[in-house]
Amino acid sequence: MQAIRRILALALPALALLVPALSHAEWTPTRPVDIIVHTGPGGGNDILARAVVTMMAQEKLVPVRMQVLNKPGGGGAVAAAAVYERKDDPYTLGFITSVWLATALTAKESKVTIYDLKPIAQLLREPAVFAVPADSPFKTLKDFIEAAKAHPGKLKQSGGSITSRDNIIREQLQHATGAKWAYVSFPSGGDRLAALLGGHVDIMVIEPQEAGENVRAGKLRVLAQLSETRLPKWPDVPTLKEAGFDVTPTPQIRGVVAPPQMAPEVAAYWIGRFEKLTHTASWKKYLEENELEPAFVPGEAFLKSMKETSGELREQFQKAGVKVYR
Amino acid sequence: MDILSGLAHGFHVATTPAALGMCVLGVVLGTIIGVLPGLGPSATIAMLLPLTFKLEPAGAMIMLAGIYYGAKYGGSTTSILLNVPGENSSVVTCIDGYQMARKGRAGPALGMAAIASFIAGTFGVVALMLVAPPLAKLSLAFSSPEYFALMVMGLAMVVLLAGDSLLKALLAMLVGLWISSIGTDLFTATTRFAFGQVELLGGIEFIIVAIGVFAVGEVLGNIEPEEPPAMVPVPKGLRNLLPTLEDFKRCRFAFLNGSVVGFLIGVLPGAGSTIASFISYGIEKAVSRHPEEFGKGAIEGVAAPEGSNNAETGGALVPLLTLGIPGSSTTAILLAALILWGFKPGPLFIQDQPALFWGLVASMYIGNVLLLILNLPLVAVFAQLVRVPSYVIYPLILGVSLVGVYSEGSSVFDLGLLALFGLLGYGMRKLDYPTAPLVLGLVLGAPMERALRQSLMMSQGSLSILLRPIPATLLVAAALLLAIPLIRRLNAVRVQVLDREQGENP
Repeated sequence: MQAIRRILALALPALALLVPALSHAEWTPTRPVDIIVHTGPGGGNDILARAVVTMMAQEKLVPVRMQVLNKPGGGGAVAAAAVYERKDDPYTLGFITSVWLATALTAKESKVTIYDLKPIAQLLREPAVFAVPADSPFKTLKDFIEAAKAHPGKLKQSGGSITSRDNIIREQLQHATGAKWAYVSFPSGGDRLAALLGGHVDIMVIEPQEAGENVRAGKLRVLAQLSETRLPKWPDVPTLKEAGFDVTPTPQIRGVVAPPQMAPEVAAYWIGRFEKLTHTASWKKYLEENELEPAFVPGEAFLKSMKETSGELREQFQKAGVKVYR
Repeated sequence: MDILSGLAHGFHVATTPAALGMCVLGVVLGTIIGVLPGLGPSATIAMLLPLTFKLEPAGAMIMLAGIYYGAKYGGSTTSILLNVPGENSSVVTCIDGYQMARKGRAGPALGMAAIASFIAGTFGVVALMLVAPPLAKLSLAFSSPEYFALMVMGLAMVVLLAGDSLLKALLAMLVGLWISSIGTDLFTATTRFAFGQVELLGGIEFIIVAIGVFAVGEVLGNIEPEEPPAMVPVPKGLRNLLPTLEDFKRCRFAFLNGSVVGFLIGVLPGAGSTIASFISYGIEKAVSRHPEEFGKGAIEGVAAPEGSNNAETGGALVPLLTLGIPGSSTTAILLAALILWGFKPGPLFIQDQPALFWGLVASMYIGNVLLLILNLPLVAVFAQLVRVPSYVIYPLILGVSLVGVYSEGSSVFDLGLLALFGLLGYGMRKLDYPTAPLVLGLVLGAPMERALRQSLMMSQGSLSILLRPIPATLLVAAALLLAIPLIRRLNAVRVQVLDREQGENP
């Protein structure tokens, strides 16, 4: 009798101690979650966010509704500020792209940058290829570079803004080979492709998925791909290194961030959910259809890789003559 | 697959009960979205995308397309009744449509908008069907120099929007150009006129300025006097609800104008429906026998831009479905939707997916008819809105404007901008500055500057790139347009001198 009482006397407080420990370990959301994106509806980030929301629901990974909140403007600056404002809200996430890294460096007016937010995970990398019109005289990237060396400034590349990946790889290649060619900015991918197909520019960096159909129809030729290893859908296209150019393109990534004071167990929950997502069949199908590269990197490692990329970007921007403020 | 058999196949696909149901759903939703200012077809389509995964792709595409061109029908409603553009491209309809409503002709204005939309929309589908692939190839010949020249010609139309004082119109246009330059420059990543505000880094959304200057400015102007100018109510009788035979006769050219101009500009990926509406309006005024009526309630001034923005939807589908190149934000989402469903729009799309392409084309014919049937009776309902007393209407306009703007970016800063532009619109009204040129400058400013800089980058700094055939022709047309007031002035002086001579030597 005494023994039982003693055991209970010890067991009950022990159990009582366990309860908070247990409830700490397993946080689950009970309210809808906002995913803040920096583009308007239909922009690249918006589409990815909506696809993720759908997949999370289909695979039953999250017990609550997730919704996309559009906060466009300033290349991610407005969205970053919106995520920051929610301090420790466990029901807010932000979807980022590499544009946020560029904005952090170049936009003097931003009061909040990506480094003020909590990194959750990197989800994927966007590959790209160099493409020329099918009737172009350049059969390999080397041909193009040689021609650019012979006639400096005459050849033209269409691309996005001066801080985009399209221009960075151009600066890197120009620096490595001594060639020089002009860069014409177009705000949308459609305009860039139209300029290339119409013969108004000579080359462009394009996402493989955008190029796919035009290659199949015989209108475009792909010269090289900007990735470490050959993409499965492009087995015959050399990578930059294989084509003879020792240049590592800065990765174009997409990832998830959270408000700066999000509790560690909540952040751990989200990291876990996104990791699970990347193992599902619907995610793999999405990546395959959109020709994206899986590249899951959680939490702190994600932050580290972003800082490295930022360092590279800073160098490249300064070389390209873009004013860097941070 | 030749056109007739393709079309037959398409009607087969589009007339199944499921497809018809999707079409009805799409056009009704589109009309509602168009009527509501601020909420646009691109946002709606993006929000509905996840739901469409469960549906069959052809049906889903028919519905989304229905939203796209349906919105262009609905957009004219608030433009005409409240001077609030329901959709970006409906801003031109405000100019004459609202004036017609004030004179008690809201019914004919709404009716003509629907009819012109139908005629031009159907023309757009026919053209899409007949000339899509060859036209797509031609559209590729249009690049930055050509776009620049097109936009310059568009700006030269300020001459036609000027009303009494060309100087005031030019000043308004310059303010519009300045507003369009606010934001981050694409080529050098420098920020312009952001005044240190993060929210201005991406520039100012067009709809905020349009709603502010037109709607809010109008309300502020009208609540000032003791007796606010009442809107003449639509007289009773069906005859007063619909356009008269006289109206139809006047709009004959406007139908053609809207259809052709809208479609052609739609095919060009770099130009949008707002530009199409402006150019169509300008051309209509230029060839009109009574240009002085424009801006005061000329029905052609409603028919031309309304037709144009509908034909533009047909045109915009050309580069999307034949090259995989989207020409506007809405077609960009349609492209994303197609990719999400596993289709790949490109040069081989029509060949590989005849059922989808022809089903879509057939559904657009059906959709346009449905929209006409839907919108005409609604004219009777909406026209009664003008009977509502001003103390209800003006707060309604303000409320609708605020909600519309907030729904775009969930930003209170935007509401502040709306108020600012409302004050600007009020000021312009008081000082008798025309507002249309400001909007024109705003729409054309940024794309025009971009096109010029791209052209110079392509030619390594040489302006001779603008002497290619198409840009040269358009620039000459622009110069001629600008010369019109000068010629008129010279003519007037000449007449004066002749009169004096006659007086001296009878």
